[in-house]
Amino acid sequence: MQQSDPSAQFGRSTVTLEVNGTTRVIEVEARTTLAQALRGPLGLTGTKIACDRGACGACTVWLDGSPVCSCMLLAVGVGHRQVTTIEGLATADELHPVQQAFIDEDAVQCGFCTPGMVMSCAALLNDQPDCQPDDVRAAISGNLCRCGTYPHVLAAMHRLRKDPAP
Amino acid sequence: MMKRFAWTTAESPSAAASAASTICAEAMALTDGATDGAIVMAGGIDLLDLMKEGLLAPARLIGLRDIADFGAIDLERDGARLGAGITLAALAADARIRRRYPALAAAAAGAASPQIRNVATLGGNLLQRPRCWYFRSRHHRCLRRGGVHCFAHDGDNRYHAIFDNRRCAIVHPSTLATVLVALGADVQLTDAAGGSRRLPLEVFLTPPAGDLTRENILQPREILHAVHLPPISEGIRMAHSKRGEKDAFDWPLAEVAVVLDLEPGGRCRDAAVILGAAAPAPHRAVNAARQLVGAVIDEKRATAAAAAAIEDATPLADNGHKLPLFEALVRRTIMAAAQGRLEDSILR
Amino acid sequence: MNAGDDSAGGPSDSPTRAEPFPYGILGVDLARIVRSIPADEPPPLAPNAELAIIGRSATRLDARDKVTGASRFTVDVGLPGMLHGRILRSRFAHARIRSIDASAALRAPGVRAVEVLAQPTAPHGSNASTVRYVGQPLAAVAADSLAAVEEALQRIEVDYEPLPFVVDLATARRPTAPPVYTADDAPRGSASGYPAPAGLPLHGNVRGPAIVDRGDVARGFADADVEVESDYATQVQTHCCLEPHAIVADWRADGLTVHVSTQYTSGVRHELAEAFGLPLAAVRVIAKAIGGGFGSKSTLGVYGRLAVGLSRQARAPVRIVLDREEEQIDAGNRPSTWQRLRLGARRDGTLTAVRLTSYGSAGVGLGAGVWSLAERLYPCANFLGEQHDVFTNAGAGCAMRGPGAVPGAWGMEQAVDELAERLGIDPLALRDRIDPSPVRREERRIGAQRSGWFERRPPAADPGPIKRGIGCAQSLWMTNVQLNAACEVRVHRDGSVEVFSGVQDIGTGTGTVMAQVVAEVLGLTPQAITVRIGDTRFPAGPPSYGSRTTASITPPARTAAWHVLQSLFREAAPLLDADPAALFAHEGRIGVRDDPARSIALAQAAARSRTDFVSAVASRADDYAGFDVRMGDAAIARQYLGGVQFATVAVDTETGIVRVERVVAVQDCGRPINPRLIESQVQGGVLMGMSFALFEERLLDRHTGHMVNANLEQYKLAGACETPDIEVIVLENYQANSATDAYGIAEPANIATAPAIANAVYNAIGVRLRSLPITPAAVLAALGKIPSRDAP
Ligand SMILES: Cc1cc2nc3c(=O)[nH]c(=O)nc-3n(C[C@H](O)[C@H](O)[C@H](O)COP(=O)(O)OP(=O)(O)OC[C@H]3O[C@@H](n4cnc5c(N)ncnc54)[C@H](O)[C@@H]3O)c2cc1C
Ligand code: SF4
Ligand code: FES
Ligand code: FES
Repeated sequence: MQQSDPSAQFGRSTVTLEVNGTTRVIEVEARTTLAQALRGPLGLTGTKIACDRGACGACTVWLDGSPVCSCMLLAVGVGHRQVTTIEGLATADELHPVQQAFIDEDAVQCGFCTPGMVMSCAALLNDQPDCQPDDVRAAISGNLCRCGTYPHVLAAMHRLRKDPAP
Repeated sequence: MMKRFAWTTAESPSAAASAASTICAEAMALTDGATDGAIVMAGGIDLLDLMKEGLLAPARLIGLRDIADFGAIDLERDGARLGAGITLAALAADARIRRRYPALAAAAAGAASPQIRNVATLGGNLLQRPRCWYFRSRHHRCLRRGGVHCFAHDGDNRYHAIFDNRRCAIVHPSTLATVLVALGADVQLTDAAGGSRRLPLEVFLTPPAGDLTRENILQPREILHAVHLPPISEGIRMAHSKRGEKDAFDWPLAEVAVVLDLEPGGRCRDAAVILGAAAPAPHRAVNAARQLVGAVIDEKRATAAAAAAIEDATPLADNGHKLPLFEALVRRTIMAAAQGRLEDSILR
Repeated sequence: MNAGDDSAGGPSDSPTRAEPFPYGILGVDLARIVRSIPADEPPPLAPNAELAIIGRSATRLDARDKVTGASRFTVDVGLPGMLHGRILRSRFAHARIRSIDASAALRAPGVRAVEVLAQPTAPHGSNASTVRYVGQPLAAVAADSLAAVEEALQRIEVDYEPLPFVVDLATARRPTAPPVYTADDAPRGSASGYPAPAGLPLHGNVRGPAIVDRGDVARGFADADVEVESDYATQVQTHCCLEPHAIVADWRADGLTVHVSTQYTSGVRHELAEAFGLPLAAVRVIAKAIGGGFGSKSTLGVYGRLAVGLSRQARAPVRIVLDREEEQIDAGNRPSTWQRLRLGARRDGTLTAVRLTSYGSAGVGLGAGVWSLAERLYPCANFLGEQHDVFTNAGAGCAMRGPGAVPGAWGMEQAVDELAERLGIDPLALRDRIDPSPVRREERRIGAQRSGWFERRPPAADPGPIKRGIGCAQSLWMTNVQLNAACEVRVHRDGSVEVFSGVQDIGTGTGTVMAQVVAEVLGLTPQAITVRIGDTRFPAGPPSYGSRTTASITPPARTAAWHVLQSLFREAAPLLDADPAALFAHEGRIGVRDDPARSIALAQAAARSRTDFVSAVASRADDYAGFDVRMGDAAIARQYLGGVQFATVAVDTETGIVRVERVVAVQDCGRPINPRLIESQVQGGVLMGMSFALFEERLLDRHTGHMVNANLEQYKLAGACETPDIEVIVLENYQANSATDAYGIAEPANIATAPAIANAVYNAIGVRLRSLPITPAAVLAALGKIPSRDAP
């Protein structure tokens, strides 16, 4: 048995990522997805991989504020865009309102889909503070939850909705 | 896990074209999709999927993200030019598109999921490979991947084509293509020398007869640069409807785009009725349109057109349900367009 | 216990005392009953209205970790020097393995261990040499990186001799179908389904029947005024836990530690000890956060044993995480079923005979029955049930949320509606007549009111293409209890509290309800309790399946807390100059019941403890009223769980699309401990049931045996846009059976949904759909709208 790293011959490249407001430099292969880079070298395991095909939303992060599936992006292709993960949503001592509302409404069961669900909801709330239930449904239509938290996610977002100024 | 590849980016369409030594379709007809050529990548949603499934293994990917203005929307006279790099989300959100081409914005807004729409591009959407589940399985090397057998014909073909399905029964996967063909869009292709050719999307999506390995006529060393939309005149009405098993984040079982040109009195001057998820390319229901032209559109006309839309269908063993489904959807979408509604919104 | 007494759950000749307990349904017949209980069980718990913490919606304790991404699931566990493992799987649905050569893989760069499962064919065709489904594990490799593993896997040479195979239930039943097994190598009893008793005959691929014959059905049918008979079928559903099966195995000289995404830490420890010949003491199983299970993570599985084998070989930690395709093809599933039900009744509805014949397929596994729901939900003197398992070349089924009962209710709850129509009786009125359960009677009453049942119209009443309807169905499930369930409570000298059990929390909120129960006893808030679970170093935890977790672990949690409190009372008594028996705990203080002004902080009493903490361990006592069934560590309570659901649907008769608009779920689970967590569970059950009813289906290609939708894109799960309005109502149904009187909810909430939807669809369109899923294609076919040139 040899111990050499088979990837060495293919040359890894150095990538600079802006993650949660910090510049991070990591070594990855071209084929490394953003999700893998986050969970591996960057140690940000809050982002989950459940399908690895863009079909479930567990890996949702923001790219310049917009939710994307990090499993369907190459780390080398991210460029200068700002990556925000679930770890970057709360400040040191304050949860994001969506996180607090999820706790208050028990919009959490096993919690595996939750980081992605929270990222989708928080992005919606930024774009559309007066979002209606159908907006929430559409915004999380790419986030599957096998435990069935959708009703409580809707309740959590209902709590946060700012009615449009009259 | 994807096979290893090298990564570069291109700064201009012609640079991308000159680097693009092969295309996805060409590579996928080879064993394991392994090619030492280079393929362009836009959003990567389709490309990475194929690579993860072990169906495609290019030696090099060329990223298109750095091309300046690749995702721009320009209004030219009354028409529009859409850069191929625009994301579905940006297309759906653009106020000008929503005003002038509401069916296109609606179709973009309803495809896939928000996360995918934020990354997937117009060009990539038009050029994505079909979703036939045998085609997408490394264990089934079918006709379209250079094999000798269509697994769908004697397998599970519930989601397959009801037209033009004799040899390969894929349905074209692009939601945008259905609407764009109905609108009479052109594509602009740019080559390595910076030269361009422009042709109707409908023609672009018609590969040479008998060539089952591709869904369009894109060549290596060529880039889909932009999509041109014709101007919208006074009497144009459009609607787009789709139905899947699920309301959202599901591939349509049936999809219909209707564009009508109505005279002030309501008589139909011209009509396009295009079915998606029906055939290997967006399917123009010529007979349905013929029922509409020259008539004032009412429920009876729409019903006749709907019947005409499916009269030539050749359903397979498992997809006969698409006939009544299309019939209902064609009728309703014609009525929606005629009445100035964007889509038929009954129970979706 | 701290007194050295461990008689909770002990033999019945231990000392007892009599106590009055709340008994009955709140708002219906709540009364008192005197039970004789073991002397060391705590006194009766008052009804919820009189309690401070139990019965209130405490916030889930781990919610903060879950919403911030801090929870550590098995897929997030990385150990120093950890290797990555993956499994080589069969490409063929049925094949003899002529040879398998992994030597090149072993030499591949970065490879540290290779395990080979399949061995070349032995002269008489041994079991290990034949693969019987696509995806069956053949070998596994561990290496420094996943990339190295994948390259090594490709170097394993497998010489397959393909054999004929069959993947669908109907074909497999035929005598001419290719046999999946011979009588010698067929599995003999089921792991986790119903029913698969040992010793049944095997003819071709059909094993059984398992017969239940009571009374005289021929006579019963002769006595019937009306009969209905229909066939009902269900598809294969896969669990689709969002967290895939995952394990990190760490084999060391001093013992084996595994982190694993499991529903049963203690069970996995037993499996590992047995499989690897280790003492139980040398095996530690840890499951801190588990991303769903639904039955599929009940046992360790082959992948888990492979990981441990690789770790043993490599002397390094090995992680195996299944990918989504592996999840879909080889991580268990809900078996397909077909059943014929014939009911005979008198004109007033009284059942005179019930005859059930079923065939189901759990692939290469057993346990594809429809359970005894048809036999038990509506008692009938004359019952004949014949259930068969049919082998097919597909991944083995396993328990899934209400196993057996889900297809059981799919048939029976439609058959009863069909009977009601034949009799011209309202379906609820018929159930009032033939269902003796007072619990479900109340649930029907409430549900009928909440759902608008009384505005129900005859079938197909809407004039336009969109037709709406309402339907109802009932559920029945065992009130399971695990006796091998224990909990330790510690109160430290500073008054801080820890609770320990091996039990895991798969998303149900187990840790939270334990904290509530302990907090109630000690007069604290749930937030003040630190719950440490999911580790076999702690007292034995029950499994998180069979809706038994709350029923099994909350009584010992209360009992242990109560014993600790008695110790604290003894410490506090001299300070308060009172008898320990006169004390009570409230809001962090211990006070004198008759003179509440006299009190000290709980911590003050704890500070007097002889050692750093006061502790007690308690285990699950037998139900005070005894059990219906007892088998080893498990038991079933006397009264079963019910639940009635009402669905309102809209059907587009032109497109075949069915949308569920509203579901009213009226459920019972003994004493509800945390209404909001229960609501979450019920919503989850309803949604899984709806998704099963309308969308989900594992599709295997009949010519290649491959699953064509082994992903989350073509295997369709209900999403937020398909989610109906769900109203959850939970009864308080006191049984006077344990220290908490709490039972489970997750499975009963999943059982009635699909038949309620089918009954609603019938009410909407006047055509009954007896096969799942109810897709647009199925609806259009049932309405006769699909042109006939299509072959079926
Ligand atoms: C779960 C899921 C659900 C989906 N649902 C839908 C749906 O409902 N409707 C729908 O329409 N789509 C759907 N999609 C498909 C998705 O929209 C497409 O994959 C996406 O639009 C592709 O765009 P892209 O920019 O990511 O393309 P890429 O993956 O980057 O490229 C796709 C192909 O086009 C080529 N290419 C891209 N841009 C150019 C260019 N400018 N010139 C030349 N060649 C180019 C690439 O080489 C590649 O072969 C779904 C996808 C997933 C994963
Ligand atoms: S329908 Fe076309 S893509 Fe699908 S299996 Fe047949 S040949 Fe291949
Ligand atoms: S893991 Fe990325 S979408 Fe499922
Ligand atoms: S909470 Fe378990 S998958 Fe959503």
